[in-house]
Amino acid sequence: MAAYELNINGRTVRVEAEAEMPLLWAVRDLVGLTGTKYGCGMAQCGACTILADGEPIRSCVTTVSTMQGRKLTTIEGLEGKVGDAIKAAWQDLSVPQCGYCQSGQILAATALLTQKPKPTDQDIDTAMVGNICRCGTYADIRRAIHKAADSVKST
Amino acid sequence: MLDRFPDQPSRRDFLKTGAALTSGLVVAFSLPMGLGKFAWAQDAVTPNKDFTSAALPNAFIKISSDNSIRLIINKLEMGQGVNTSLAQLMAEELECDWQRITCESAPVAPVYNATFMPLQMAGGSSSVSSSWEQLRVAGAMAREMLIAAAAEKWGVPAKEIRAENGAVHHGKKGSLTYGELAEAAAKQKPPAPVKLKDPKHFKVIGQSMKRVDAADKTNGKAIFGLDVKAPDMLYAVIARPPFGGSVQGFDEAAARKVPGMKEIIKLDGNKVAFVGTNTWAAMKGRDAANVKWTLSDDPLLTQSSLQKTFLESLDKPGTLVKTVGNPGNALKKASRTLEATYEFPYLAHACMEPMNCTVAYDGKSAHIWAGHQMPTTDRMVAAKILGLPPESIEVTTTYAGGSFGRRANKDSDFVVEASSLAKQLKKPIKVVWTREDDTRGGYYRPMTMHKITAGLDSKGRMSGWDHRIVGQGVMAGSVFGAQVDKTGIDPTSIEGVENTHYALNDFQLQLQLMKSPVTTLWWRSVGHTHTAYVMETFIDELATAAKKDPLQYRKAMIPKSPRHQAVLDLLAQKSDWGKKMAEGRALGLAVHESFNSVVGHVVEVSVKGTDVKVHKIVSAVHCGTVVNPKGAQAQVESAIVYGLSACLYGELTLDKGQVKQGNFHDYPVLRMPDMPVIEVHFVPSTDTPTGLGEPGLPPLAPAIANAIFKLNGKRVRSQPFSKGLA
Repeated sequence: MAAYELNINGRTVRVEAEAEMPLLWAVRDLVGLTGTKYGCGMAQCGACTILADGEPIRSCVTTVSTMQGRKLTTIEGLEGKVGDAIKAAWQDLSVPQCGYCQSGQILAATALLTQKPKPTDQDIDTAMVGNICRCGTYADIRRAIHKAADSVKST
Repeated sequence: MLDRFPDQPSRRDFLKTGAALTSGLVVAFSLPMGLGKFAWAQDAVTPNKDFTSAALPNAFIKISSDNSIRLIINKLEMGQGVNTSLAQLMAEELECDWQRITCESAPVAPVYNATFMPLQMAGGSSSVSSSWEQLRVAGAMAREMLIAAAAEKWGVPAKEIRAENGAVHHGKKGSLTYGELAEAAAKQKPPAPVKLKDPKHFKVIGQSMKRVDAADKTNGKAIFGLDVKAPDMLYAVIARPPFGGSVQGFDEAAARKVPGMKEIIKLDGNKVAFVGTNTWAAMKGRDAANVKWTLSDDPLLTQSSLQKTFLESLDKPGTLVKTVGNPGNALKKASRTLEATYEFPYLAHACMEPMNCTVAYDGKSAHIWAGHQMPTTDRMVAAKILGLPPESIEVTTTYAGGSFGRRANKDSDFVVEASSLAKQLKKPIKVVWTREDDTRGGYYRPMTMHKITAGLDSKGRMSGWDHRIVGQGVMAGSVFGAQVDKTGIDPTSIEGVENTHYALNDFQLQLQLMKSPVTTLWWRSVGHTHTAYVMETFIDELATAAKKDPLQYRKAMIPKSPRHQAVLDLLAQKSDWGKKMAEGRALGLAVHESFNSVVGHVVEVSVKGTDVKVHKIVSAVHCGTVVNPKGAQAQVESAIVYGLSACLYGELTLDKGQVKQGNFHDYPVLRMPDMPVIEVHFVPSTDTPTGLGEPGLPPLAPAIANAIFKLNGKRVRSQPFSKGLA
């Protein structure tokens, strides 16, 4: 057991954990931020997506010890022009159904829009292929990403 | 199954308890799932419309002096949107300010029972249809009590007062907000009867109100079962045996060495729980223990012999379910016969949020947190284990990360384990299922096979139809199991065939129920998952044999169902049916009634070898009044995606009771790039709403199969298609 300092949502948090504990469980069980979800434990579903320096990572296969010094953003801390536009579009189009996968979908979509302000459907397929939704909100997610892109552009 | 848990009440106990708790009056009631009539002890025949004893203004609506309105939702929000659609039913009559409402999940109490059975439950696509009258009445009663309070205060007749947008208004006296009247309204006598609005005056029903849970589900605030945290809570993962298996041994010392491992508890001789200070510690402990199992040689628990047994059973006589005319004679007279055998695998629900349950128990009372589709029975089962009266157990129904039937568990499996552990630990405990636990944990869509022998006369017209079904069904072990045992007929195995709308003369249906240690359960659209496929692909074959257009053929074969006719007409109008398609593309059609709604799809498909690509789906839906068009569209899209995952990829296979698949790499589901374009059209209607969470699923797979036939001449008779086309 060792102590790790994590920068989560602009705050420094100290956790006592095994070096190989996945970031997912440190964030959920030790830090207490439960917006990041467990879905598969093997980087298959994307429910556990967290942004590390703006890049989407799968926190279920990322050990806590490797994340010191990285700027981590979970769904609870997502803000800024793109993040706010994504969340607003998600709410406006009533995208979530059960909502369990949506933290991951939103963070993946935010990373996409940050890199590609005007993504094509093909760009969306490529960026979102790793995020499973069992309720089948894919069409609404696609619509919401385009809507958010439009709203960021017009501001 | 039940004797695996010495603490768990048997079905017999359950029924006994049920009878003891009620007046013992036995009435017949209809289930909305097409399950027919079942007798059960129930103390109230009518829906819950008596709110006089409930809190104010009634059990579903709480108005505070600050004008906030809390609506109590008595169905699990599992994605289907009940928090929004049921709120719309209440808000329509309440005349409140939609922006002021918040929704809360109901505790367990008889007043929150479903209107069709003495249980609180969400399932069978029944939430809106069964609440349609009840919740509008609740809204209207609250409104009338607010008006009565104002009338008293102002000293004017109630009929001079109108309610609108969260306030009451009088020509001379002015206005009072609901918040200002809340306290006085609570003292009013609930009116009876109340008159409900004419649909032409609806302002909220029929509108695409935005989901009330969308904000919490986009900022991480929504609490799902897995997110529950109680003070001093411990975390458990459980090693569960393969089907028919038992524990051989495990390395307890290695498990105890894992940092954070607190307890190792044998649950019933066959399960071992690893309890830690966090989820990861519990998982690591289980890994380190490396539990070994003694495996079963039951032929039904290994895929090849399982398949052989089912196939052989198709040729043995089953229980006669239905005979129309004289199928034997008609088949003899036929100029040729068509024979087809269909195979459907076990399927896991694979909710995004794996099963879990948190229980806190202090010896005198308890608290359970989970996504409960049936909180009443979950509490009853926990009460038995904990040795408490059910009323001493508080139940919090959290959001569920999908459910699709899985959290309506006939054995309350996820609650049983957590309750048993809480009893031993006397500390709050959260049982977490890994994805592999969830995939391999049973309660599957049952493996099922069908065989049809149908005769055709010289003009291609049907001349006799012999239909046999072999499968496990899902009712065994449920509260309805005794009836299934007695009759040999599980309604969920035959729904969609037995009650087909097609005019079938000279028809016979037999069912053979198989018994296996593999547990089964209702899985989105239940029996219709396979019966619609068989009926709709075979009708297509008959249309081809008769050289008729499949859409017109269906219309002629369903002359007496206006809903089917309307759906087929809408499909003909909105889809490209009958138009020439691009090279390599074909359209397929299917229509099916389930949960009292009729859905038809026209799908555009291409095939490369065994790879099936669905490009576009045009759906026509008749579900009566549409409460929330956007939400309704989302439910149809959702059912389509769930059905696509199943027919394209879904299959669980067994090896000595071990399920080979475990996670999304070997039990794949649909992803973004394979999402087809979907258009959903509703038949305009002011009928009472019928089901919608499930009916979009059944006609999907057969529509695709019918398109595949046009492309490559192959009739796909096994799912998933990747296997059926091989």
